[in-house]
Amino acid sequence: MYYPEPISKLIDNFTKLPGIGPKTATRLAFYVLDMEEESVLEFAKALVNAKRQLTYCSICGHITDKDPCIICSDQRRDQTVLCVVQESKDLIAMEKMREYTGLYHVLQGSISPMEGIGPEDINIPSLLKRLQDDTVQEVILATNPNIEGEATAMYISKLLKPSGIKTTRLAHGLPVGGDLEYADEVTLLKAMEGRREF
Amino acid sequence: MVYVLIGKCEGIVIRNVDYGETSKIVTIYTKELGKISLMARGAKKPVSKLSGITQLLQQGYFLFHAGNGMGTLQQGESIRGFRNILEDIYLTSYATFMSELLDRTTEEKQKNTFLFELFERLLEYLNDGYDPEIILNIFELKILSLLGIAPELSRCVNCGHIDGNFMFSTKEGGIICHRCIDQDRYALPISVGAAKIMRMLYLIDVNRLGNISISEQTKHEIRELIDQYYEKNSGLYLKSKKFLKQMESMKLVLPMKKD
Repeated sequence: MYYPEPISKLIDNFTKLPGIGPKTATRLAFYVLDMEEESVLEFAKALVNAKRQLTYCSICGHITDKDPCIICSDQRRDQTVLCVVQESKDLIAMEKMREYTGLYHVLQGSISPMEGIGPEDINIPSLLKRLQDDTVQEVILATNPNIEGEATAMYISKLLKPSGIKTTRLAHGLPVGGDLEYADEVTLLKAMEGRREF
Repeated sequence: MVYVLIGKCEGIVIRNVDYGETSKIVTIYTKELGKISLMARGAKKPVSKLSGITQLLQQGYFLFHAGNGMGTLQQGESIRGFRNILEDIYLTSYATFMSELLDRTTEEKQKNTFLFELFERLLEYLNDGYDPEIILNIFELKILSLLGIAPELSRCVNCGHIDGNFMFSTKEGGIICHRCIDQDRYALPISVGAAKIMRMLYLIDVNRLGNISISEQTKHEIRELIDQYYEKNSGLYLKSKKFLKQMESMKLVLPMKKD
């Protein structure tokens, strides 16, 4: 290495981040050198705190700094609807919509036949535990519309069928602002199947 | 100078790997070129034209740019998506296992039309509601001959006798008679029925697959023998196998068909 050890170490650590190669890592490392010491300390603190202070909510599995998380402890939210998502990032996306006021359950992954990830490897047992008291009336399956997400949704719906809880799946189809002539056949077919009365 | 060629192939998506934020690397088993991997840029975006066609088990025509390295998928036109398989979690687990097996046992750009048609036909049968275990057994046995390690099932693998009491030897690669049993002390018992059915499944022309019904006991026996044989001779460890096993044990608890 042509660089002194502290900076080469910094470059090495930046390359561990996704999408960052050696060139970008070097640029970032040199930028850090030019930063004010206070900002660098703040940056480092933020990194450590994010790792140390965040845990998973014991009820829904969302990342949080206090347990239970703000969503689960908010009594104003509709306690009878539960939206099942794959990742915390999906929960944030749903929250940005500002229309949904029910509760969530984060699975921390999805069933993946290709990767050998089965139902026991994700957060499904805690979901079943939550549904044991009769508060929840509807479960919305908001997993991704790909093979893993579908497999997860199918599995959960099969599990819940005997209990009689209403289980719904997010609609598939055309994106808002999309162009019909450019939509692919698979999406169009799904949109056609999921059509509803106007 | 980089030569850019445009290729069009009919194929079935057998593997999907995420690449970066929005792209995917798709492995397609094609009729014309065998297995190919293509970069599908932006395929994870909801508005992408490629998102539907790059789903696992999609059969379609794929148009791609083939440069020096990995090609780029430009367009895709769906032929069919094997809906019944994807709407049933058990069938999905069988089909993904078959896909992974095909992916792991073939090399890129080695054309094999027979294998493509075999895979396509078997997925069709799976989609039409044939017994998934029989379909899987046929595929596994046929793949063994592709790997060059097909078991000898019509005569003793050691001495060639066709009469006697037979055992199944994973070490010797087929059935061995009572005269040669010393060759493999760990040979597994095999019933006459199971040996006959395994041979039939291995040799069968899939285009003429009629109604085959096999007793649960024989199915179980064949399953065990094939698993042991793969474990001993192929050196493959497939992740989807674990999932398939989990699903098989769950079949007892949850209903089989989607209702």
